This record gives sequence, structure tokens and C-alpha cells, in this order.
Amino acid sequence: MSAEPVLTTETSPLTVLGRGARLIVYLVRRFPGRFLAAVLGAVSFTAAIIASAFVVGDATDELIVPVLDGGEDVAGRLAPIVWLLLGISVWKAAGIVLRRGTAASLQVTAMTRLRRELIHRLLDASLRWYGRHGVGDLLSTADVDTKQATFVLAPLPFATGVVGLLVGAGVVVTGTDPVLGLAAVVILLLVVGVDLRGSWLTFEAMEEAQRRRGRVAAIAHESFDGALTVKSLGREAEETERFRRGTDHLRDQLVAVGGVWTRYRALTEGLPSAGLIVVLVLGAIRVDSGALTTGELVRVAYLLSLLVVPIRLLGYLLWDTAQSVAAWSRVERVLHLDDRQSHGRLGSSTSDTPAEVTTRGLTFGYDPEQPVLRDVDLTIPPGTVVAIVGPTGSGKSSLAVLLARLWDPDVGAVQLDGRDLRELAPGALPAEVAYVSQDTFLFDDSVEGNVALGTSLAPDAVAEALRLANAEVFVSALPQGAATPLGERGATLSGGQRQRLALARALVRRPRLLVLDDATSAVDPSVEARILRGLKRAARPSTVVLVASRRASILLADRIVFVEDGRVRAEGTHEELLATVPGYARLLEAYEQDAAERHEQARRATDSARARAHRRVQEGSMHPDVSAGQEET
Amino acid sequence: MIAERAHLLRAVLRAAEIAPSLRRGFGLTLLLALVGTSGQVVVPIAVQQLIDRHLGSGSTSVASVLTTGTIALLAVLVAVLCTRAAMLRLVRAAAHGLSELRVATFRHVHDLSVLHVQAERRGSLVARVTSDIEVITQFVEWGGVGLLVGTAQLSLVLVVMLAYDAVLAAIVAVAGLLYALLLLSFQRVLRRLYDDVRSRSASAVAAMSEAISGLPTIRAYGAESRTRERVDDALEAHRRIEVRSHVVGASMFSTAEVFAGALTAVVVGAGVLLVPGGLSAGRLIAFLFLVTLFIEPIQMLVEVLNEAQTAAAGIRRVLGVLDMPIDVADPQPGRSLPPGPLAVEARGVSYAYPRAPEDGGGHGPLILRDIDVVLRPGSRVAVVGETGSGKSTFVKLLCRLIDPTSGSIELGGVPLEQVAFASLRKRVISVPQEGFLFDATIADNVRYGQPAIPEAEIERAFDDLELGDWLESLPAGVATPVGERGSRLSTGERQLVALARAWVAGPDLLLLDEATSAVDPALEVRLRRAVERLTAGRTSVTVAHRLSTAEAADEVLVLDQGRLVQRGTHRDLVAEGGVYGRLHADWSAGIGGTTGGAEARS
Repeated sequence: MSAEPVLTTETSPLTVLGRGARLIVYLVRRFPGRFLAAVLGAVSFTAAIIASAFVVGDATDELIVPVLDGGEDVAGRLAPIVWLLLGISVWKAAGIVLRRGTAASLQVTAMTRLRRELIHRLLDASLRWYGRHGVGDLLSTADVDTKQATFVLAPLPFATGVVGLLVGAGVVVTGTDPVLGLAAVVILLLVVGVDLRGSWLTFEAMEEAQRRRGRVAAIAHESFDGALTVKSLGREAEETERFRRGTDHLRDQLVAVGGVWTRYRALTEGLPSAGLIVVLVLGAIRVDSGALTTGELVRVAYLLSLLVVPIRLLGYLLWDTAQSVAAWSRVERVLHLDDRQSHGRLGSSTSDTPAEVTTRGLTFGYDPEQPVLRDVDLTIPPGTVVAIVGPTGSGKSSLAVLLARLWDPDVGAVQLDGRDLRELAPGALPAEVAYVSQDTFLFDDSVEGNVALGTSLAPDAVAEALRLANAEVFVSALPQGAATPLGERGATLSGGQRQRLALARALVRRPRLLVLDDATSAVDPSVEARILRGLKRAARPSTVVLVASRRASILLADRIVFVEDGRVRAEGTHEELLATVPGYARLLEAYEQDAAERHEQARRATDSARARAHRRVQEGSMHPDVSAGQEET
Repeated sequence: MIAERAHLLRAVLRAAEIAPSLRRGFGLTLLLALVGTSGQVVVPIAVQQLIDRHLGSGSTSVASVLTTGTIALLAVLVAVLCTRAAMLRLVRAAAHGLSELRVATFRHVHDLSVLHVQAERRGSLVARVTSDIEVITQFVEWGGVGLLVGTAQLSLVLVVMLAYDAVLAAIVAVAGLLYALLLLSFQRVLRRLYDDVRSRSASAVAAMSEAISGLPTIRAYGAESRTRERVDDALEAHRRIEVRSHVVGASMFSTAEVFAGALTAVVVGAGVLLVPGGLSAGRLIAFLFLVTLFIEPIQMLVEVLNEAQTAAAGIRRVLGVLDMPIDVADPQPGRSLPPGPLAVEARGVSYAYPRAPEDGGGHGPLILRDIDVVLRPGSRVAVVGETGSGKSTFVKLLCRLIDPTSGSIELGGVPLEQVAFASLRKRVISVPQEGFLFDATIADNVRYGQPAIPEAEIERAFDDLELGDWLESLPAGVATPVGERGSRLSTGERQLVALARAWVAGPDLLLLDEATSAVDPALEVRLRRAVERLTAGRTSVTVAHRLSTAEAADEVLVLDQGRLVQRGTHRDLVAEGGVYGRLHADWSAGIGGTTGGAEARS
């Protein structure tokens, strides 16, 4: 994510500025009030700087020179100067607070707005679109890119102020003395030019450093992840060498960045000083010829000396613009996504009976060019338990996903009691169909919250669902029972426990169709059987479609749909298919044949080994303190 | 506060000890920076000179003005060159020094058993050699330059002020000190505020990440509006605190202007009132310029000190890793293992995982208790038991990825802790459950332990394992890239490559951790055949998750809650019942998905 370079080195500063200008206009137009307030603060600060130069100049002519060099009396000349200096400094401070406060508010609010829109848009996106973009990328866009895309807003008001300051300074100096004005304008332009150029070159060099930094991180990640392999083959020294090559590469680039950066940094510090000296020398000659007073020269010099730090800010604006432009293109990709989940207007059925599911000519592929399901026609009678069986990659999970309308078919339709799923209104489908996948996603909420997921339920509905899913025992053992917060992603639960919570989440909705996509893979088969039996006796029984890859699960179904190469090869009971469909029989027998072969070998091997085998059995007592959570890796 | 700083200093000195480039030539860098900063005070001095010597006296000659100007310009030029040199030297030292520190830490992490023992801490170890080092680098480079230039500028400005007028200089210095103290107290307030910002920001990101990762679940349960609300609330809470922190920060930052204005007014007033006759107009005006030069570094230094907290935390974390003793060390001098298949003997072996220092250190509960076992050379041994029974830990002990907490292990009669790593890693090979592949070709992964092996030999290895046809099914044979962590291959295929890697290594003791996840039947058969080839003629210990593996073993060790509770052949153990009988019943019922149908025969 952050390791990725922001721009390619071919991007020219002008392109960046052009795209940056469009981005700025887009963002500023949404928050014109905040932007104007910030600019007002910046301009007011700028004006205060110019005013302070006038006061210092006046102090020189009216107070300092007459009193110290001319021996005149202070007599009432001091107080106005002091009050002016204090007043102007408070004015400056107010300008700073207004500018920085509103600029930050502008940036943070814009970022928040982008994030909100991005998440809202994503929640409406089709899963096809979602599947095409990696979760990691989307996360990084929501987190990092929204921030970077709005970076440009933070220095923008001040940059506007600085430009005003430059123009103002040019006018003031020229108005004071045309010769000095010309010199000042040349110097200021030179400093701005050097600063922008230096910033750009540094930025480019830093981008390259960022790429190399990414590679170093990748090596560290890979090497530490593979630590077991590294260690067991004794390759620590070679791994260190590999890492060192990466860090050397990075180090050289960091030194190169330093080379560019320090050159321009030294120049942008030295140039204003040198320019000031030129102005002072020229000014001294002008004062001598009577064209200028000492105070006027001090005013010009003081003003120019105050410009050094703000000018450097222009360079930062260039950096921020470049970063924002690159990040914005990634944010836009999500904000302007065109592939949304569509909905119809049919409401959900109020019927208490299980649903009938039919599919007509379903053809589907995650990549439409490569269908994983072809022409699937199925009718699943209400109240039956149907197992979809097939080898890995046969399309059985895809079929489950279409039945729950997580994806839409490319061709054909899925119907629930004759209603096309796409015709259902928002919220109608989840009221009738529940889908549970193999991987359980748990939210950072309590057990109850995770089961209810925002729906209002009867008081004991959650408890009832937990009982049906055989989760009540372990849930009641949690410190606060069903009210126990699970923490991020429910990390403390085992796979089987998570799956049972997911089942409870599905059951609490009393679905008319329950789709289990390998959803009990980590649950004990006897528990699985108990759950399915309980389901049949439930108050609102359900049609169940289960994708199964376990013999025990398959045997629980009333009917089997055998899928191979994306087509339904056969339908019927387990016994029928075993007798008539060779592919099905082969699949179920594959392990058995192998197991038989192994069994024979094992018998021979154990016969010869038995003679020498001595047994030293230590009866183990139960030790409950052994951490069961210890990973076996 | 002071103790904290002393702590930071010690940590920096330790880091410089490990990475000598950090301190090499630092004196010269400091000197150059000091000379370089003089460029800043040239302007006020030039102002004073011009006013006092030329403008005030009324006897200006153009030539003398030009001379003053030329000298000043030369001084600026020298200063610019010195500044550049000082900054570049600092950047170089930082880049080289931190690169050394990074590599040293990387190597040390690889030598620590915690890396493979506690997988959950791996992410934080990666952070030690990446983000932590970055934070330090950034601080040393940018903060270091600020510290260097800022301190130099502050001292130089004070020296010039002192030269002009001691009373005014004292006023400015005292005021500066008071202001610095004020800024430091501001920083404390800000730090607390930033902590809130960070935690709100983390919650906002967590809420978004939940919405993004959980989208399929949210869609399936129609939980969109609930999710929208949760995300909106978290985002708004973050926005509020973030804006507040900026407004507070801006207010504190703006005090510098008020301070500068007030100080300027005080200097002007004191100049004309307190120092009668002693001060020239030029000097007082120069003071006004010097005051602005004095405030900027104060602000910068306070900010640098604030950032130093972050960098110090980074340094402490890195040093924390470097200070962890290498628990499993290569013996010096080490002994070699005897040739031929190895016998394994464990006596009274117990093991408990070490606890992380942040959890109080020490040891966790015992994972293995008092294991006594002798395995004959050349035998196939299967270790079985439920999750958490300690079977994987037992295998890790045999290849000395970890050392027992008590008891001892001998291989071929040599105590394991006396065996040289060179000999151990060559003769004892372990194949972990998840065959880890590097982002390279199949060939490179197979010869990972011995890079000199030619491709033909690698192809032969696959043939020897009866995997020649699988290899042919790949787009580019052994030259096929496997992708990041082998992602272009399936789990089972990754396992095949890991087996080939073990085959070319030709170990005399093979340790296998069988994969728990089911793979395709066809691949399953291939894996079994390859394992069979691999284990023939050598001692092998397999962590078994499948009934068939246990059935085929010469001997089965049954672990339960860290104890060896049964051992013998599969047949005997089935007859005996006990823990094994229970496991066997579970297997037969189909848990694990790969042993269905076996119940008919056993």
C-alpha cells in the first residue's frame, strides 16, 4: 500500500499541477465556506507581516535613529510603536489560528466525507466488482488514499496567502524604491524557482526510495514468514545477505535523496541571505544618494527576511499536490464504480413454509469469458435438504453463491417460489434466504450483536438460535455469556465455534431457504447431524442447500445434486447416484480405494515392526491448564 | 522527564555502538553545521555595519559599502557550502548507520527461536526491521538536521547578541527560555490530544475495514444500514477530535507570533530606555532581525524533542529485540552426526513456550511433559494426538528449532545441543505443514538449501518422487514461477515442492508435519507416494492427521495433553483403545474429511 510509488518518474510537474488544479476545484467547491475562511486567515496573516515591516521601518526612522544616533528624547515616541508591535502580533496570531484551524477542518472534513462516500458506495457495489478489487487494496484506499487525496487542502490556503504575500512584498518594495523593487522581485522569483525545482527533484528521488523501501519490507516479510524453512535448511547467513543487498540498495537511494535535498535546502537558505545583502548594499547606496531613508531600507530588508520560511511552503504544496493526485485516482475508482447491486420492488413473502428454489439455464463465471457454471436447471422442492457434491473446481460453491444472490448469473435466473431474485426489493432477500460460508466473518461486537446483526428480534430469539446451532454451551461459558464482546474478528474463538455462531446468525432469521457453503467443515459431524435434524423440527422449517465435501455431511441430505465441470451431471438420492453415476461413485470411493491400499501395506509393515516394538505407556492424567489454543504449526 | 531524556541518550549511544557509522566523524559534522549557520547571522551583522558605519555617519563611500557587501556575500557562500556539507554528512551517517542496525536486527531475529515458535509475533518482528527503523531514520535525518541547525543557530544568535549588548541579550535569552518551557508544556497537552486522535483514528479505520472485509456477510444478511451507521459514527467521532487537535495545535503554534511581537517591543523599549548611550541604532535594528532568527529554532527544537519520543520508542523496540539472547545457539566447537540413518533418544523432555516480555516473561504452561522415547534408526514413526497435544512441538524439538525446558535429546548418540548447525541442518530436514515457498521458480525453491544444484537434477528429483507427470503439467516445468508465498500453486502442490526440496537435501532424519487440510483425491495419492519414497531408508517422524499415515507407520506415538500416553503399532493401539481408540473412532467417523470409508475395514 504505502510502499507503492505515488507517481512514475515520467509524470511531469505540469501534468501534476493540471490534475492537482482539477482536484482542488472539485474539493474546494464542496466546502467553499471553510476554504474562504482559511484563505481569509492566510491573507490577514500576510497583511500583518507587511504591516509589521512598516512598523519596524517607522520605528527606525522615528524612534531608534533619532534617539540613539541623534541623541533626541524618547518622549512619547515609544508607546505607539510598542502598541503597534503588540497589536500586529496578535493580529498575526489570529490569522494563524483562523487559517490553520479552518484549513485542518477543511482537510479532515473532506477526508471524512470521501471515506463515508467510499464506504456507502462499496456497500452498494456488486460482489463481482468487489471480487475484482482486492480487499487489501480497498482497505488501503479507504484508509491511506482518502487521507493523501486531501493532503493538498492543508497547505493550500497558506499557499494562496504566500502568493499574495509575494505580490504584496513586490508592490511594497517597488513602491518604496523601484531599484530595490526590481532586485527584490528577481531574488524572490529565483528563490521560488529554486525551491519548486528542488522539491520536485527531491520528491522524485523519494519516490524511488519508497519503491526500494517496499522491496526491503517484502524481503523481511517473506524471510520471516519462511523462517521455519530458512532455519531447517540452515540458510540464515544467505537470507541476511539477501536482506543486506536490499538495504544497501535503499541506503544508496537515501543518500541520493539527501544529496538532492541538502543541495536545495542549503540554496534556499543561502539565496535569501545573499539577496538581502544585495538589497542592503543597493539600499545603502540609495540612502546615501538621498533617494531613501534608513527606515525605508530597514522596512524592505525586514519584510524580505520574513518571507524566507513561507516561501519554502510552496515546495511542500507541490509535494502534497503530487501525492494527492495519485491517491485521488485510486479513490475515484471506487467513488465512480458503475457495477452496483440492483434491486426490484417485490416484497418478502410472509409465508411460514419452506421455499421452493428453481434455476433456469444458469450460466456464470467470475470472469464471464470462463464460465464455471453452464446451463444449470434445478428444481429444489420446498423443505428438502439437498447436498451439492462435486470435485474441487466443479462450480458447487458458485452455485450456492448464486442461490443466495451474492452474485448474479450471466445468463438465466434463480427463482424463489417463482420470483426472480433480482426482482426482490432491498432487504426482502435477506428476510427469506440465509447464506453461510466456510469462513465466518465476525464483527467487533458481542455474541448477541453478531447473531442479530442489527435486526430487532424477540428477546429469546438469539438464545433459541444459539441452541439450534449447538453454540449455547460454549457461549454460556464465555465471561459474559451472549453479551461477551468478541473483539476484532472474534480472534479468540476456534474455527468450529465461529462456524456455529455463523449458523446461529442464519437461523435467527428463520430463513425459508438456508444455503450452507461448506459451513460446517470445522464442526463435528455428529453435531452437524444434530443441527440439521433440529432444523427440520424448527418452528419455521427451511429448505436447505448444502455444499458438502465430507461424506458424513453428504449422507445427511435427502437428495444429491452432482456437479462436474460446471454442469449438473445427475440428481437423486445417494444410493441412486452411487449405483448409476460413475463419476459420483468414483469421487466418494477415491479415498476408500487409497485407504484400502494403504491398509494392506500398513498390515505388512506392522507385522515386521511388532517384534521390536516395545511399549512404554505413561498413563496421562487430565491437565486442564494446557493451553488448547496453542497453534500446531 | 529528565530521566526519560537520559534514557533516550543511552539508547542512542547503544544504537551507535551497534552501528558505528552513526557516530563516525560526528565532531566535524557539528563544526560544519556551526559555521554553516553563521550564514543566518550575516544579514543582521550586515544591517548593523551598514547603518552604523555608513548611513549614520554621513561619510559613505560606495567602495566601502561594496567591500562590506562582498565580505558578507563571501561569508554567506562559505556558510551555504558548510551547511550543505554538514547536512549531507548527517544524512549519509544516518543512512549507513541505520542500514547496519537494520541488517544486524534482521540477522538477530533469524537466530531467535521466537520467530518460528510464536507465529503471532512475526508481524511485530517484521515491524522491527521496517517501520521502526524508518521512524528512527526519519528522525535522525530530518530531526537530526533540525536539532543540529537549530542548536547551532540558537547559540550563534546568542553570541552575536552578547557581542552587541549584554543586557538585551540576557533579556532575550531569559524570555526564550521561558517560552521554551511554555512550549514544552503545550507539547504535553498536545500529546494527550494526539493519543485520543490516534485511538479514534484506529477505530475509524477498524470500522471501515470491517465494512470492506465483511461485505459478503453484510450483503448476505442485509446488514448494510447498520454498517453504514457504525462507519459514519466512527468517522464523525474521529473527525471531531482531529479537527479539535488541529485548532488547539494552531492556537499553541500562534503564540510564537505574540511572543515575537512582544519580545520585539521589549527589545525596542529596553534599547531606547535602558541602555543610554551604549547602543548604536544599527545594533538595535540588528537585534530586531536577530529576535526573529532566535524564535524559529526554539519552535523547531521543541518539535524535534517531541518527535524524539516516537523515535526513542522505536529505538527501544529495536534494542529490545537485539537484547533478546539467542536461545538456541550453534555450539562452538560443534560435533558432527554419525553417518547413516539416525537413532533418536529423548529423556525426560518437557517444554513450555516462553512468554513475551510484555506479558511478564518466564514460561507458559507445559506443552510437553517428561517424554521418554527411543526411536530406532530407519523406522517410520507417526505422532498422533488432538490439537494442542504437543505433537508439533515434539517434532520441533527434534530438529532443534527449540530447546527443551528440561530433559535431553540425542541423535545418533550425540547430544543435540552439541551438534554443529552445519551438520544438523544438512542431516535433519523438517517439512512443515504449510510448505513455504519463496517468490521464485520451482527449481529455485527446490534448491533453496543448495543453490548449486543444476535443473536436470531437480527434474530427476521429481521423477524419483513419481511426480514427473505433475511437473510436465506445469507451463514451464521446473522454471515455473510459484508467485508470492507460492500462491500460484495449490496447498497440495506447494507440499509437493517442499517434499522435493527435502528429497534433494537427502536427510538422514526426516521430520514431517502432515497438512490438516484436505486436498483433491488425485493430489492426495501423489503426496502419499512421494512421502513414501522420501521416508524409505531413513528415520522419519511424522505428525499424522490421517489414519492411513498412522496405519502405515512402524510405530505410533500417542500424545495427550503433552504426555506420551500410548505407543505401539496401529493394530495394537486399536485393540488397546484409550486415547488412540477415541482418535480412531473420530477418524473413522469422517472428521478431517479424508478417511471416510475406513471404518468398514478396521
